[in-house]
Amino acid sequence: MEKLPGVSNQLSESRKQLPGVRKQLPGVSCQLPEKKAKQFSINNWQPTTGNWLLLLVPRFLAARNGVRRMGREGQIRTLILSTLIVLFWCGIFWFFDRTLDYFRTIPDLGPVLSQKLLSMVFLTFFAILLFSNVITSLSTFFLSRDLLLLIPAPVPPARLFAAKFVETLVDSSWMVLLFSGPAFLAYGVVHGGGLTYYLMVLLTFIPFLVIPAALGVIATLILAYALPAQRGKDMLLVFSTLFLSLFYLLFRLLQPEKLVNPEAFSDFLAFVAAMQTPTSPFLPSTWATEIILPFLGLTDGDALFYYLLLVSTALFLLVAGSFLATHLYPLGWSKAQEGQRRRGLHRWWDMAVQGLAGFFPSALRGMVAKDLKIFFRDTGQWSQLFMLLALIVVYVYNFSVLPIGGSALRTFYLQNVVSFFNLALAGFVMAAIAVRFVFPAISLEGKTFWVLKSAPVPLRRLWWSKFWVGLLPLLFLGELLVSITNYFLGVSTFMMILSASTLFFLTFGIVALGMAVGVAYPNFTAEHSAKIAASFGGVLYMVLCIGFIGLVTVLEALPVYVIMSSKLQHLPLSTAQWSSIITSLSLSLALALGVFAFSTRWSITRLEEMEISL
Amino acid sequence: MIQLEHLTKRFGSFTAVNDLCLDIAEGEIFGFLGPNGAGKTTTIRVMMGLLKPTAGRVVLGGHDLAKNPLAAKAISAFIPDRPFVYEKISGREFLDFIAGLYQVPAATRQSRVDESLELFALSDWGDELVENYSHGMKQRLVVAAALLHDPQILVVDEPMIGMDPIGARMFKALLRSLSLKGKTVFMSTHSLEVAEELCDRIGIILGGQLIALGTLDELQQHANEGRLEDIFLKLTAAPDMLEVIEALRA
Repeated sequence: MEKLPGVSNQLSESRKQLPGVRKQLPGVSCQLPEKKAKQFSINNWQPTTGNWLLLLVPRFLAARNGVRRMGREGQIRTLILSTLIVLFWCGIFWFFDRTLDYFRTIPDLGPVLSQKLLSMVFLTFFAILLFSNVITSLSTFFLSRDLLLLIPAPVPPARLFAAKFVETLVDSSWMVLLFSGPAFLAYGVVHGGGLTYYLMVLLTFIPFLVIPAALGVIATLILAYALPAQRGKDMLLVFSTLFLSLFYLLFRLLQPEKLVNPEAFSDFLAFVAAMQTPTSPFLPSTWATEIILPFLGLTDGDALFYYLLLVSTALFLLVAGSFLATHLYPLGWSKAQEGQRRRGLHRWWDMAVQGLAGFFPSALRGMVAKDLKIFFRDTGQWSQLFMLLALIVVYVYNFSVLPIGGSALRTFYLQNVVSFFNLALAGFVMAAIAVRFVFPAISLEGKTFWVLKSAPVPLRRLWWSKFWVGLLPLLFLGELLVSITNYFLGVSTFMMILSASTLFFLTFGIVALGMAVGVAYPNFTAEHSAKIAASFGGVLYMVLCIGFIGLVTVLEALPVYVIMSSKLQHLPLSTAQWSSIITSLSLSLALALGVFAFSTRWSITRLEEMEISL
Repeated sequence: MIQLEHLTKRFGSFTAVNDLCLDIAEGEIFGFLGPNGAGKTTTIRVMMGLLKPTAGRVVLGGHDLAKNPLAAKAISAFIPDRPFVYEKISGREFLDFIAGLYQVPAATRQSRVDESLELFALSDWGDELVENYSHGMKQRLVVAAALLHDPQILVVDEPMIGMDPIGARMFKALLRSLSLKGKTVFMSTHSLEVAEELCDRIGIILGGQLIALGTLDELQQHANEGRLEDIFLKLTAAPDMLEVIEALRA
């Protein structure tokens, strides 16, 4: 090779960077020398196993490489997450240990309560797993990017099903498995469960996890096959979110607290009867409970019968799933790939959105309109409103059934102290909504971020458009929640004003903080917004929010206490008390405004300096 | 019109672009060639403000990109190698949004959008969501969006990927006509035929460094080769790679 004038002397160095040329040229060996033929042959790359586990190798390798190549930031993230998990673990263990210990002190009723609690734990896990598996299987079977590689490959459907089923099972169950540990440990500790108990818990969990996973996958496969083409993927998302929201609503409206409140029943026997009735003999969660209880010495049930029932159901569903995957999956997958044609559809809705954007300053209008249109056209985003609605209904309902009344002191306590905690709780609800809708805002720009980054538009405009779009509905919702719940509580005017004004400033801080953490931990490649909310950044945001809301609430505790005490004792406030009230409230306000100002300033600067290389 | 002055971009210890200097005149179509991983896309991303340079500066139409990014971006347009566009809005809505970003006057905005859709054969698809477009259609939409504000500088990264022959022919004609109108085009491409056919000057980058720069004639003289493909291979391919190519030809 000759060198041209101006050719860098680093040329030979650069050639070394040409990656893996030989390995990328399979099938040319016949024309090449024997030594080279060996190097080029694709057979060198073909694994010896041809089973479904092979399909999981890329994920395993990606996870392994992620751990091996973890940088300093990654290590810090892992450390923070591990600490949080350990703390959460300890909290769950403490709760179950104390509760079960307390139940033991109640003669006759104690064991029944322990049984019922275990049954509720399994039922809750089962519902969560079912929902989680529907959502996850939608992603693993229909949205995952590796499918474009796997579907055209000569992989039998049954093998693809096996690999994707395991992927679904692991993705949707690991969290339940992780956080169920302390609950079962507490049962073992309190009731003196031996080694066989722990072994049985492990053995029970295997089929118990398989059943909702198989049901979730089967439901997704059938829905994708049966639903009309073009809208299948969207409708699956809507159905699954709606299902969870309804389940959540029903569960709450059934008033499960009555089961631990004997006063609600006419007599003791009726209460015990209600407690001992299994939730449903056809639910796998009931079978799992019946397997575990004898090993804790709480019942003399037939554990073997229920275990066989659980295992045989799991095996049957696996076979059924594999059968359905072979017959329904190819067409279902093909249907799910088609998009949504919208010519002539929802014109009035588009006009309404455009009109809504018209309320914003002209500089932000275009971006706001774009974000609103995308939000209402993306099923993955708007379907989360069902969950939000369910959350609000249950929140308000909880306050409507609060037993206010009785002595004057009790009423005073409930009205004002509960309303004070209501403020913190409403703040927390705002944060839980913001982590779904505000925190992912920048990440949702995704791979299209180049459009705005290369345009002659200051990115602070993008920041503010997303801030206002997040803030206004949240502010409206927060104020509405606090006002309605305070109305149910019948609080004093002082508490009403304090709650409304505190929540006003808190929401500014919560939204700005959500934007800041969203900018600090963007995820431009996530498949949907729920995945962004569940990322490390989402967890960190929730932790920061809890700290922020907690601090503001603590700062306001003193003024509330002083004012309420003086009212209760019918004494005027002293100058010292007034100054302490003003100082505390000022500090609380300064903290909320400080969080807002710092988050805004920091994240706008960071957004403007952000580099993208998608 | 475009000046890259000692442009360097490092990612940690890896240097993607190393001390790159270029001066591209008004009305010129400049072809930026190089093998995969040579630093073409990184250079373009730095030029468009998507990445910040580690050293050096980018000047577009006399505006320093670091000091006056909005003015520099206002006279430029970017066509990326992969046409990532908002999937949940229609082609017309996308063009309207872009027109707003680049401050196309409201009075002419609607007609410009309609003309662009017409010019790029997207009129029938204008009200469809972008998620229903083929790759080539998305590519055409991105090109339409880039030209909406009549930019002075067009920066194009691998323009022909996914375009059908008609689209490719149309795009080449478009670049020629833009050049005749005095617009400057900076184009990275793997298509040596396109570079040979269109470009006034060609720069070849390897390992982040510019290893050759000149008109096609100048490159032919220096390399003592007739075709651009042979020049390119001579400059950029490793000896064992050439051996493989010869073996395959045989």
